Amino acid sequence: MDLSLTEAQELLRNAAADFMKNEAPKTVVRQIDENPSGFSPEMWRKMGDLGWIGMLIPTEYGGGGRNLMDTAVIYEEMGRAALPTPHHSSAVTCALIIMQGGSEAQKRSLLPALATGQKIMALAFTEPEYGWGPEAVKMNATKSDGGFTLNGTKLFIPDAQVADQLLVAARTSSGGSPESGITLFVVEKGASGVSSRALSGFSGEKLNEITFSNVNVDSANVIGSVDGGWSILEPALDRATVLLCAYMTGAGAQVLDISVDYSNTRVAFGTPIGRFQRVQDHLIDIVNGVDASRYTTYEAIWKLDENKPGATESVCVAKAVSSESFYNLCDSAHHVHGGIGIDKDYGLFMYTKKSRSLYHYLGDPVYHKRRLAKLLNL
Amino acid sequence: MDFEFYYSQEQEEFRKEVRGWLKQNVPTDLHDAVDPLDLPHETFRRGIDFRIKLAEKGWYAATWPKEYGGGGLSSSHKVIIDEELAEYDLPSIAHGDTGNGLFGPAVMVWGTEEQKRSFLPIVTSGKSVTWQCFTEPEAGSDLASMRTTAIRHGDEFIVNGNKIFVGQLWDVDYLYTLAITAPDNPRHNNIGAFFIPANLPGITLGHLDLISGDGKRTIYFEDVHVPATQLIGGDTDGWKVTQTSLELEHGGSGRAVDGDKLMDKLLEFAKSTTRDGKPISSDPENQDVLVDAYIGYQVNRLFGMRNYWMRSMRKPFTYEGSQFSLNRKTYGPNLAEAMLKVTGPYALIKDQPWAPFMGKLEHYTRDAIRIPHPGGTVEVQKLIMARRLGVSRTREQGAAYI
Repeated sequence: MDLSLTEAQELLRNAAADFMKNEAPKTVVRQIDENPSGFSPEMWRKMGDLGWIGMLIPTEYGGGGRNLMDTAVIYEEMGRAALPTPHHSSAVTCALIIMQGGSEAQKRSLLPALATGQKIMALAFTEPEYGWGPEAVKMNATKSDGGFTLNGTKLFIPDAQVADQLLVAARTSSGGSPESGITLFVVEKGASGVSSRALSGFSGEKLNEITFSNVNVDSANVIGSVDGGWSILEPALDRATVLLCAYMTGAGAQVLDISVDYSNTRVAFGTPIGRFQRVQDHLIDIVNGVDASRYTTYEAIWKLDENKPGATESVCVAKAVSSESFYNLCDSAHHVHGGIGIDKDYGLFMYTKKSRSLYHYLGDPVYHKRRLAKLLNL
Repeated sequence: MDFEFYYSQEQEEFRKEVRGWLKQNVPTDLHDAVDPLDLPHETFRRGIDFRIKLAEKGWYAATWPKEYGGGGLSSSHKVIIDEELAEYDLPSIAHGDTGNGLFGPAVMVWGTEEQKRSFLPIVTSGKSVTWQCFTEPEAGSDLASMRTTAIRHGDEFIVNGNKIFVGQLWDVDYLYTLAITAPDNPRHNNIGAFFIPANLPGITLGHLDLISGDGKRTIYFEDVHVPATQLIGGDTDGWKVTQTSLELEHGGSGRAVDGDKLMDKLLEFAKSTTRDGKPISSDPENQDVLVDAYIGYQVNRLFGMRNYWMRSMRKPFTYEGSQFSLNRKTYGPNLAEAMLKVTGPYALIKDQPWAPFMGKLEHYTRDAIRIPHPGGTVEVQKLIMARRLGVSRTREQGAAYI
């Protein structure tokens, strides 16, 4: 047993921490967040130069061929900075789906551009009847000449505002189990009939509404087999989920540091507020949340990387714990901070926003607890 | 990163040896009692007989240096021994007591060479039972406010006072305890730590009748003459000495062996008990309760594993020991609540044929009320964590350990 990072991972972490400190201070992160695109091409290029964009993609497709744990090291540091990038949508989630289910030709044509960051892809899975199980995919794709025609609405899709391509889950047959009848399509965002609108509000990612109106997709752009999309999505989304958990862990660790620091410097009643036990209670809730998130996440990542049994169960535990912890620890941090915590210039809200939107993304605690109940044969 | 123990060929051979030896030497009729208060004296003594044999193999204080009666083995060997022992339902006394768990490590850090040579073989041989006796009627969370005194008269100390909520149901040979040695010194610099033979004149033991049913005792010291050779460290080193024991008791030793038998039993009960022809585990509300308890168990297991790893790698501790302790102290009662919600009154009775698992759930329902308090309450663990996070008036690091 060894719960430490390898020497190479430590180097990677130091490099990522330096990068975030120099290139992604909170003023820069705030600017990116306030930009309607929520995207900094400059930041994206720098991350590409460092080889981080494609790190999870195999080397034969232009990536770095790193495993989930290596990638998680970068994710923790991105979380610490609350950095918004389309990395998770494009070079993790969509890339993993293509790696899992794409043909050799599709991998060769799609992955290298995702690995360099030249192209950005977003997953269009959820709909107005929001959910992350197979039953939530209701939008229809009907067979047409040489392919399929898509009609319907995808909702709350992160990063679609900067995407070149969409990876769309749609229903090609119904009547069987919810798992059967889902098909995955790669659709150019500029294709005729696709329209996208960014939704404003309090979300850590820009969420979009995408409507498909008689959008024709060639059969060559089906990922995996027709009706067989769920068996590709499920393992790919598990892997994408743990990196999201690593991001939340890093973000939580930063919230802890900010809160401890504030408790030691803010004076009230003639003493730093950290000396009040009721303030300490909040700090303890924060550190417990961060560590619960960290070790459930690490164990799930280790099981996935090493093909250990029970990996899915650990993913469910990690996401349920990380979503709940991150949400609650941000609340605790606001209790510690009082008024200054909701001041945008102070920056805590960047984490709080993330804690609200990532709570649901790739499945909320209820969804993952239901999956866990099934895995435990309850 | 690696969440599993890997064993070398040599260690796997060692496992075979341990397994074979246990099969030969664990009496087939030696079982723990559901309620410690029901443990017969004969079973208790047989538990000690067994651990003496274990000690003779070098597997009782397995990782301690051989010169002090230990086995001189690696922590991996210790994990193998613990895993194999966990296959048996032995009385806890057969595995150890606070002598090798808490007292020994403190002596290793703070004892003089002479003290190590005289005290450690007593606990590593398995022959003698040691109780850690710190709590007093008016010194629980605020341990330093103890009133028991040990006043030096030449080569001996005269001890007066009393301890409460300590020990176990049956025999004891040594008391690892604290007393005020320098009443005029400032707090924390006025305490001595002692290893006192329990049969000295003036020591009286009493029984407490507690809902947790774990046989806790009272101890009265009345003009007890304790030779100065029974001191650990110097006359006023007691507070430092006790910090090493408390760091361990507060979760600093971690836990390497996986498994929570009660969690397993709860899941088993829910899956195998039917209402209206359906297992009660299929009820959505029960599922919520069971899954939350299960997730709590996973987090607790991982904190224990993290601490075990930190200690075996000699990583410096800050808040982690108390964090694990705090987590156990909240997870434990949560599990009891989950049991009551899912099983109903079945968790409250001891009588057959209705009591599940021989009444283990009933015992846990009572015991879980105790869990948040001994070895530092939930509130004390939080105080320590705040200090270690560096926000309190007192900034501190983890206590010294070996």
